[in-house]
Amino acid sequence: MSEKVLLVDDEKEFLEIMSERMEARGMEVTTTESADQALSILKKKTFDAIVMDFQMPGMDGMEALKTIKNKNPELQIILLTGYATVEKTVEAMKIGATDFLEKPADIEALSGKIKKAKTEKMLIVEKQTEEKIKDILQRYSG
Amino acid sequence: MAKNEHMLAVSGMTFFGQMSASSTHEIKNTLSIINESAGLLDDLSVMAQKGHPLSFERINDISKKITRQVKRTDLVVQKLNRFSHSVDHAEEIVDIEETVHFVLHLVSRLIDMQDAVFDVKAPLSPMRVTTSLFYLENAIWRAIEMACFAVQGKREIGISFGTDPKSPSIWFLMEMAKKDIMDDLFGSKKDRALLAHLDLSIEKNNENNCFGLVWPKRK
Repeated sequence: MSEKVLLVDDEKEFLEIMSERMEARGMEVTTTESADQALSILKKKTFDAIVMDFQMPGMDGMEALKTIKNKNPELQIILLTGYATVEKTVEAMKIGATDFLEKPADIEALSGKIKKAKTEKMLIVEKQTEEKIKDILQRYSG
Repeated sequence: MAKNEHMLAVSGMTFFGQMSASSTHEIKNTLSIINESAGLLDDLSVMAQKGHPLSFERINDISKKITRQVKRTDLVVQKLNRFSHSVDHAEEIVDIEETVHFVLHLVSRLIDMQDAVFDVKAPLSPMRVTTSLFYLENAIWRAIEMACFAVQGKREIGISFGTDPKSPSIWFLMEMAKKDIMDDLFGSKKDRALLAHLDLSIEKNNENNCFGLVWPKRK
């Protein structure tokens, strides 16, 4: 099954080319130019991974990362960045970023990270389902 | 080194670092589009080898994208180069309006990040001062940054110039401004050292939501 990816970057031409290349590799890609729009899309659709620029006008990547992780902890977010300081990288990983990739990104490396993120998400969802079932069984057996 | 000189040096280094980081970030963005365009050409060539038809219009479109991004990169390099030459002279005759426009161009990405829009009203006549170009650019950037933090509601900030040629000034006007920011404009040790070095003072008008960088009256 193809990976469903939300690609967020304020560079329109980057979105156009990157999504075309990702689609050529079998991924299903939705693009948006702002973190605010990404949050609206996430209310309606679900994704295996979100690939997001770290610095954008308006709500930046870090702020968006916090908001997304608060609402959907199972979502896997890969941050793309021009230059990330060690401090910022650590902060983002603490908040819950799945991975980091520096621009210009290598498409094969990005594809690998997206596949890994999808597996990670499936494991989290499986675990969540297992816990829900256990909870239901416990309630009814008691 | 005296304490004030140290603070001035720290202010200058911080400014230089911010401008370099922002410009190199812009270059990274354009490079990544060029990189992906080259990758897309590679993908298309692999597909063509497998028998898929190759569209010349598509190739032309990618080539135009690359050219656009190279031009964009060149503009960033040009402004970074001009900025780097700001430190060439300790003092020189500087056109204030031209310097404001250059700083706005230099920091355009940082302003975009703040979702702010600046509108510059030309002075009645050219205003020139003999000063350190680099530190004046630093002070203008700090004023722009503070205006971005202070502005409330509509994120439009006006820049105008004083009308008295004997006492040049640059004014930053907002529709609404946050009081706590307005109360602490250029309040840090670094900012105070910067203003002192340029012989500038800060004038505020909280009722009109504006503040100005003001030079002393010339005799």
